[in-house]
Amino acid sequence: MSRKWKLPDGRNSLKRLLLIGLAAAALSSCVAVKEYEKVYINDPNMKLSAAGDQRFELNFQVYREAAAGANGGKSGGGCGCN
Amino acid sequence: MKRILLLFFLLLLFHVSKAQSTDPNAYKKRVLESPEIEILMSYYQQNGDHSAVGGGIGDESVDDITPTIVVTIPLNDDDVLTIDAGLSAYTSASSSNINPFNASGASGRGEDDDEDEDDHEGDDEDDFRPGSSEPTTGTPWLASSGASQSDVLASVSVDYSHSSDDRNWILGLHGSVSKEYDYHSLGFGGSVARLFAEKNTELSLKTQVYLDAWKPIYPTELHEYSLYGSNFQNSGYFEGMTVLNEQGNPTTAYLPDLFSEWDSKKRNSYSASLGFSQIISQRLQASFFVDLIYQEGLLSTPYHRIYFADRPNYYIGTASDIPVYTTRENTGVFRLADEVERLPDTRLKIPFGARINYYMSQTFKLRTYYRYYSDDWGITGHTGSVELPVSLSPKFTLTPTYRYYEQTAATYFAPFETHVSTEQFYTSDYDLAEFQSNQWGIGLSYTNIFSQPKFLRLGLKHVNLRFSHYDRSDGLKANIVSFGLKYVFE
Repeated sequence: MSRKWKLPDGRNSLKRLLLIGLAAAALSSCVAVKEYEKVYINDPNMKLSAAGDQRFELNFQVYREAAAGANGGKSGGGCGCN
Repeated sequence: MKRILLLFFLLLLFHVSKAQSTDPNAYKKRVLESPEIEILMSYYQQNGDHSAVGGGIGDESVDDITPTIVVTIPLNDDDVLTIDAGLSAYTSASSSNINPFNASGASGRGEDDDEDEDDHEGDDEDDFRPGSSEPTTGTPWLASSGASQSDVLASVSVDYSHSSDDRNWILGLHGSVSKEYDYHSLGFGGSVARLFAEKNTELSLKTQVYLDAWKPIYPTELHEYSLYGSNFQNSGYFEGMTVLNEQGNPTTAYLPDLFSEWDSKKRNSYSASLGFSQIISQRLQASFFVDLIYQEGLLSTPYHRIYFADRPNYYIGTASDIPVYTTRENTGVFRLADEVERLPDTRLKIPFGARINYYMSQTFKLRTYYRYYSDDWGITGHTGSVELPVSLSPKFTLTPTYRYYEQTAATYFAPFETHVSTEQFYTSDYDLAEFQSNQWGIGLSYTNIFSQPKFLRLGLKHVNLRFSHYDRSDGLKANIVSFGLKYVFE
C-alpha cells in the first residue's frame, strides 16, 4: 500500500501566494498606524482569525469537506468518520 | 520563484530592522487581566443519501451535541494558560450500519441486549446473535440499533503562551488528547509570532504533530470472514443465516476474499503553518496563511464498504427489496460488502488562505476570507466567505454570514458499485467526491467589556448564539446551532 508522494498541483498557487504576501509587505512599508490610531483595528470584529463562535462549524466542515487548514482550525487529530 | 522568495525575505529583514526602534520603557500591560471561563455548546444535525458505510448509498444522518468548557488563566503579566475540555456525543445512522443486522430498527433478528457502552461492533462478543424465528433483515436506509450507532468523543487540550516584555514576541506550546471508542489522538506543537513596525506587521509560524491510532472496526460480514475464513457462513454470527444472490435465491457462494484487515493502525499528521498579517490603514487589515500538512498511516476508514462492479452481488434480508436496493423503498435487505475502502497511506495537503477585514463604520464591518486548497490525492478546492457584523448597539452585534465551497473529486473516488476489483485504491465516500456547498448563517452576540461580578465573583462578559444551514450539491444538508457564555473572574 506504500506510495511515493509528490507535490500536489499547488506550485503555481504557492507563487501567487508569495506575490500577494510580497504586495502586502510592500504596502506595510508605506503606512505605520500608531497605537492610538488603532481604535478601529482593535474592534473585536476586526480580528484576523475565525470568530471564536465558529469553532464548531470549522470542525464539521473539516469532516464533511476534503479541504482543511489555512484558517487556524485543526489540521489533524480525530478520524472525522461519521 | 527564487527571486520572489529572496525579495520576500529582504522585506522581512527590513521590518526586523524597523522593529529595533521600539521603546524598551514602554508601558507593559498584562496580556490577560483576569481569568476567564467560557461555556460552549453546539448541536449539529445532518441528513443525506450517500453513506460511506453503505458504499456510497444509504442514510447518513448524524446528530451531535458538544458541551465544552474553556478556562483561560493569566499566570503572570506575560504568560497565559488555556485549558479546553469538551465532549462530542453523537448518534450516526452510517456507523450504526457497520452491523445492519441487529435487533430493533433496521433489522428484525438478533438481540444485542448487552447494555455495556463499550460493546461495539467489531468485538467478538458484539457479534453474538441469539436465535430467533424472525427472518433477518437490514437496510442501508435506516439506522440500526447496534452499539456502534452512538459514541462519545472526549478531548482535552492545553495551550501555554508567553509574550515578551515589549509584546513583540509571542511563544506558544500546545498539547492535546482525544479519545473515542475506535480512535485516539495525541497532539503537540509549538508556535512563534513576531510583531514588527509598531505592531503593524506580524509573522507567525505554527507547527503541530498528531499521533493517532485506530482500533479498527470492520463491517460485520468482513469481520466474520476474517475470523472464520471461507467457512464463515457456517460459523459465528452468520451461522444459519440465508445469503441471497441477485435473483433472490439462497446461495453459499459469497466469499469476500479480496478483504484483509489493515496491518498499520497508526495515523500521523504533521503540519506547519506560516502566517503573515498586516495593518494596511486605520480601517483595513489583511492576513495570509500557507499550511503544509503531511499525513501518513491508515488514512482509510476501516468500516467504509466497497461494492465492485465486476463482482456478483449478495444480500441478506427480504428478496423482494433487491430490485429497489438503492432507493428508500428498500426497507428489508442489505448487500454484503466486497471490500473496505483503500486509500494511499500518505497525503500531502497545501492550503493557502487570505483574510481581509474592513471597518466600514461604527455600525458595519466587513470580514472576508478566501482559501485555495490542493492535495496529492487530486483534490483542489476553493472556499470563500463573507461576514457582515452589524453593531445594533454598543453591546449587541448581529452577524449574517455566507460561505461558498467547492472541490474536485479525489482520484480514488467513484460512486456506489462503480469501482472494479483490479484497482489499487478505491473509496465511495462522498466527502471525497466533487461537489459545491453553500452555507448561510446568522449570529447574535452580547459583549460587556466592563462587566461587574454578579455571582461567585463571575461577571458575564460575552454571550453568543449562532445558527448556520449547510447545503451540499450531492443532497447532504446540515444545521448547526452553537451557544457560548464567557465569564470573567474577578
